[in-house]
Amino acid sequence: MQPQLKSKVRCADREVGEVAKVIMDPLSHEVSHLVVSMNGAGERQVSMGAVQTVTDDLVQLRSSSSEVMALPPFKREDYVTLHEVEIPGLERHIHVTPGEVLVPFPDLERNVKRRKFFANLTYVTGLFIGLPLAFPVLKYLMKPMYAPLDNRWLKIGNIGKVKVDDAGTQFKYKRNVKEAYMPEAEIEKNVWLVKATPPVLEKVYQGKDMEFRDATGKAIWTNKKDMPYLAFSGKCPHLGCGYKWRKHKILGQVFLCPCHLSIYDASGKVLEGPAPRPLDLLPIQVSPSGEVQIIDMEFKAGTKSQTRIV
Amino acid sequence: MRTITGVLLMFYYVPTADHAYASTQYIIHDVDYGWFLLGYHFWGSSAMVICVFAHMSQVFLWGAYKKPRELIWLVGLALFAIVMGFGFTGYLLPWDQRAYWATTVGVEIMDKMPLLGDFMSRFLKGGPTPGQMTLSRFFVIHVMVLPAALIGLAGLHLFLFRCAGPAGPFRGTPVELKAKTDYFFPRQIWKDVVGMAVVFACISALAFWEPVVLLEEATPDPGDYHPEPEWYFLFLFQHLRLKMFSGEFGQFLGSMLLPGLLGAVLVLLPFFDRNPERNIFKRPFALIGWVVLIVSILLFTVSAIINREYLD
Ligand code: HEM
Ligand code: FES
Repeated sequence: MQPQLKSKVRCADREVGEVAKVIMDPLSHEVSHLVVSMNGAGERQVSMGAVQTVTDDLVQLRSSSSEVMALPPFKREDYVTLHEVEIPGLERHIHVTPGEVLVPFPDLERNVKRRKFFANLTYVTGLFIGLPLAFPVLKYLMKPMYAPLDNRWLKIGNIGKVKVDDAGTQFKYKRNVKEAYMPEAEIEKNVWLVKATPPVLEKVYQGKDMEFRDATGKAIWTNKKDMPYLAFSGKCPHLGCGYKWRKHKILGQVFLCPCHLSIYDASGKVLEGPAPRPLDLLPIQVSPSGEVQIIDMEFKAGTKSQTRIV
Repeated sequence: MRTITGVLLMFYYVPTADHAYASTQYIIHDVDYGWFLLGYHFWGSSAMVICVFAHMSQVFLWGAYKKPRELIWLVGLALFAIVMGFGFTGYLLPWDQRAYWATTVGVEIMDKMPLLGDFMSRFLKGGPTPGQMTLSRFFVIHVMVLPAALIGLAGLHLFLFRCAGPAGPFRGTPVELKAKTDYFFPRQIWKDVVGMAVVFACISALAFWEPVVLLEEATPDPGDYHPEPEWYFLFLFQHLRLKMFSGEFGQFLGSMLLPGLLGAVLVLLPFFDRNPERNIFKRPFALIGWVVLIVSILLFTVSAIINREYLD
């Protein structure tokens, strides 16, 4: 049986105090000493050799109380707790109620005067390994994130498809994309074309031509204010779903997005729903033979202002 | 189970934009019992969300998050986030229209986060728009990052639980409690096994009668498809339809501020609610808060389902 913390300690003549700490031997895994708290008269370290019997709540010593008092006071600095060192397997040999279980501070380590310094040095070395890795790893992961904008004109079909004024007609087109290592692939996209009457045009352009610029600010195209064809990006400016030209019970023919029910009129203006800005107009040109070309642009959804991302 | 079926799916699944759809179709139509395993995996994710949510409610109502179990609660919240993360990233993997649009909208919402939003959404998409890089990233997160995090945090969750001990019922004197206390084995294990069998049966039944059906392959043109997320994200999706959350600021309010606040309240809960009272009927604010949350989630979910009809 191992002595328990808080057990009373009795000497040959009288009770002297209680067990305050136990000290384990890191090699034999046995309890080697008790630290006895002497009823207010300091602490003494008593070897297990002096112990006669151990019961649940009592440790009986062979020596007399004066002999114990005469021992030198306990030196806490010479020991470390089990929280500070890790000794494999020691835990299994401890049968004391949890509390202060000590082991001798190893000589080798005690002579290391600059523990703090070495601890810090360890962190610095860790940083030294970690930091140079952090940047490359970040860059590695970021590689495809910022693709340059693409200002090619894409043919999307013939304007003959547009039959009615001020109504949306969907043009589907294919766009070739080459992503990283993937073979070039075609993705399907769509825009909505509107042949606008002058009042609608006026609503859209408000008497001014619309200029498109690239990332550096260089002008790439101007939509003339009296050119009747409007091309709206197929992406809903609310959160990016695809919307449709369809009939609404009250508002008549409108662009309606099924996701969160944003509704736009033929000029792209928001009539109802959560969208923060009108539909996005794209650069458009129509050749004399009716061939429609656009620049496929995409803008960030959910913001009042346009931020181009494709 | 999720892990086992997930690993089994990976024997055939290919995470590339040109093969993900075909390989999933192959799993469903050609591989023996592939439809069942995929169905199990799919419905299992719903079951997981329900279980985690039920567990959180219980902990909340029983006041089991209170001192000394604050850390367990925090780790639990992280686990909840991970499960939702599984649902969100897994959803893209079949690369059908449903997958594509749920991700498009989800990532656009993330983009609205202040400061980090643009970076985060580009980081997840691996580019300005969803594509192969997005699929690769979601795949890695779904089958490597999240499972690792889940195992680690679940271990920590249980370890902390062992440290703090179970909270137990909130009624009863210590003596009564002692009389009812039982060892983990065999009675608790027995209850658990029965519970698991019931869940297993439910998921299997769903996988059997409601197998996963893919829509068309993903393209940035939705065709006739009306985008909608998985049911456990529906309420989030629906509340963004409200007038109050329109415009740029409303959007920020609805998609960032409100969920952010809710999250913050949950995180801080054990720290400002220091009252040791655990009986839910003596904690009116907690009870009302819980009921309001549940009712609004239900309302939004149901209204999203009703709204579907108006769309065709
Ligand atoms: C809580 C855990 C998990 C949840 C909630 C979850 C959820 C999902 C969901 C919703 C899907 C889409 C299924 C569909 O719509 O067809 C999916 C697919 C997939 N998951 Fe998981 N998953 C979990 C864990 C895992 C794990 C641990 C792995 C592998 C280590 C894994 C591997 C896969 C694979 C390979 C697919 C693609 C199969 C397909 O094409 O449909 N999942 N997951
Ligand atoms: S994405 Fe169109 S209304 Fe929300």
